[in-house]
Amino acid sequence: MDYELSEGHKRLQAEMGAFCREKIAPGAALLDVAPFEEAAARMKANLKALASAGYLPLCLGTDLLGRSVAGEELARACPATFLAATSSAILFGRSVKRFGTEAQQERYLPSIAAGDAIGAFACTEAEAGSDLGGMAVTAEKRDGRWILNGEKDLVTNAPIADAFLILAWTDRNTGLEKGTGFFLVPRSAEGLTIEKPSETMGLRGALTSSVRFSNCAIGEEALLGEAAGAGYNQMAAVMEEVKLAVAALGIGIGVACMEESTRHGKTKKAFGKPIGLFEGVGAKLAIMFTLNDLGRMMTHKAAWAMEQKDPESAVLNSCAKLFTSEAAGRIADLAIQVHGGHGYLKGTAVERLYRDARFAAIAYGTSEMQRAFIAKESLDRFRDA
Amino acid sequence: MDFSISEEQRMFQESVYRFAKNQIAPLSEEADLKGEFNFEIWQKFGEMGLLGLPVPESYGGSGADFVTCCLAGEAVGHAGVDGGHILAWGAHTYLCAANILQHGTEAQKERYLPKLCTGEWIGCMGLTEPGCGSDAAALTTTAVCRGDRYILSGSKTFITNAPLAQVFVIFATLDKEKKHKGITTFIVERDFPGISTGKPMHKMGCRASATSEVFLDECEVPIENCLGGEGNGWLIALGGVEWDRSTLIAPFLGGHTFMLENCARYANQRRAFNRPIREFQSIQNRIADMKVYIEAARLAIYRIAASKDSGVALNPLTAAVNKMYVGDRGFETASEGVDLFGGYGYIHEYPVERIMRDAKLGQLGGGTSDIMRMIVARFLMM
Repeated sequence: MDYELSEGHKRLQAEMGAFCREKIAPGAALLDVAPFEEAAARMKANLKALASAGYLPLCLGTDLLGRSVAGEELARACPATFLAATSSAILFGRSVKRFGTEAQQERYLPSIAAGDAIGAFACTEAEAGSDLGGMAVTAEKRDGRWILNGEKDLVTNAPIADAFLILAWTDRNTGLEKGTGFFLVPRSAEGLTIEKPSETMGLRGALTSSVRFSNCAIGEEALLGEAAGAGYNQMAAVMEEVKLAVAALGIGIGVACMEESTRHGKTKKAFGKPIGLFEGVGAKLAIMFTLNDLGRMMTHKAAWAMEQKDPESAVLNSCAKLFTSEAAGRIADLAIQVHGGHGYLKGTAVERLYRDARFAAIAYGTSEMQRAFIAKESLDRFRDA
Repeated sequence: MDFSISEEQRMFQESVYRFAKNQIAPLSEEADLKGEFNFEIWQKFGEMGLLGLPVPESYGGSGADFVTCCLAGEAVGHAGVDGGHILAWGAHTYLCAANILQHGTEAQKERYLPKLCTGEWIGCMGLTEPGCGSDAAALTTTAVCRGDRYILSGSKTFITNAPLAQVFVIFATLDKEKKHKGITTFIVERDFPGISTGKPMHKMGCRASATSEVFLDECEVPIENCLGGEGNGWLIALGGVEWDRSTLIAPFLGGHTFMLENCARYANQRRAFNRPIREFQSIQNRIADMKVYIEAARLAIYRIAASKDSGVALNPLTAAVNKMYVGDRGFETASEGVDLFGGYGYIHEYPVERIMRDAKLGQLGGGTSDIMRMIVARFLMM
């Protein structure tokens, strides 16, 4: 039993931390408020920088623990950039890496890894989130081409993406596991409309919008892995990696909140002393530390279990995502309180982090879905005949 | 990074679980109901080698490392053994015997460890006093050196095992002016003149363990019974925390696993509104929260155990995090276990209410959660 990170991972953590502090963190506040054109330009520049730093290639590889370690540093510096990078390199990139044909991989992966192209991934619709069975987007085969119709919502990166992975029905009658396809759609495809950017509560630098398909025609080669009917299962497999990534997001936000709050606790004085010395503040700092510390261990164990192909890995992954996402929300709330009145102002870091945090317990499997999944595993395991 | 245990460790844990489930747990319900320590259980613990688990074989123990000790504790909790007997074992082995093992002279180890390992002698540790718990360094039990003995005066309270103990590890001060540096540890035997114990206290949980005050009334302690040297008591007390934050709380982890299994079984078979209650989200949510707690607590406890086994000094921050989370969240999820059982959760025959009562101690004993938060806050503020 060994809880220590390897020397390699420790180095990765230190290097990524230094890189993010220098190159990513300074722009985080601006990304939150910048108008569309500026935000788009800044995010693209961040992704290019992350490519050079080796982070995007890391996301495309199989070092899950390394991804968690480095991802936490990025999320701490700029949660919005973390989400954009995750959407491009993991949601889009890993789907292509794991399930794409050689041609598909060659076409997309080098430019995704280099930050030259940005990917987006679309499953959610107005009537389908937790229950993707409610999807309405269809892909119909006609004269050797696929025709897509319908609308996807909440597509991260859509306003700046070069390519999309779209989950669509190929045969609704056979159900999700056999009747869906994952389609690679270039931005230039006719019949594809990217709606204007949605206004999100937080992670505002990770530009998001709806994407509409009106008889959008794409070639046969657009079906991921040329695997008809396999879309949902492909998506579900990659979603395990995404859950792990969201756990890193939760910790990063939690650590950022804790650092801001600790700094405030040391410097702000009231009634003759630094406010961190009052239990009312100190106890909150302690809770922040505890939740981040435990959440980090849970995430690392989940990554390790996934790498080991441990049968418990899916449950551990879910536990980590649930824990860290709810912890981030609680920590952010405590952080605002620690900052007092100034915590309520735009421009204070924790105000932004509070809005950023809210995403984690909803996205990529709501807390409700995580609990249902975790409970099912225990309930199925412990039942008398 | 590696979270696995060896096959040998797994088999050992499995054997402790089977032993505890078959031979001990059936006796727990009645022991807890009556609030009575069961000597048959104690003897069986001894025979199984649990009482001397970390003690080297040369002194009659099993020579087990921290991880192995935690595995055993977890297994006993998982088997459904009551918190009282678990606490009695923990205080005896990890608060008394472990202190003698780590700080004793050869003569002290040879005198006390073998009988503590068999359980012939029951041990306890006395730090807390009626006037000071959290502020342990402010203890007022005094020790004065007079010729070939120390004379101890004062009282201790909440001492697990005290009514039944033969061996007492007692913290007293040689010089209050020196504050922490005056605190010294002594091994006191039941037969020494001037030591007596109070009536067992009635507690919310861990009811089968015998807990009482210890009265030292000019108690005569031979000079060779100073443990670890004069003025080292505070460091010894702090050092004991490493056991307290890992091996002593590992059974809570097991107990929650026991509770989760019972809750899952109940949710599968209990029906309401024409379906098993497992179909209701409010029930699923509680099961899920228990599972998350178990996985987090497991990591917290074994992190300390694993690093101790690699020879790394205990990180007080990590220790405080452990205790806080295992204690606080443990009680919350134990309460959810009672909720899951509905009315039956309130009845003694269904084991969940006992788990909840036992779990409350996690927030109070061995350092309150408030103090854990204070420790972490102080570190962050440095």
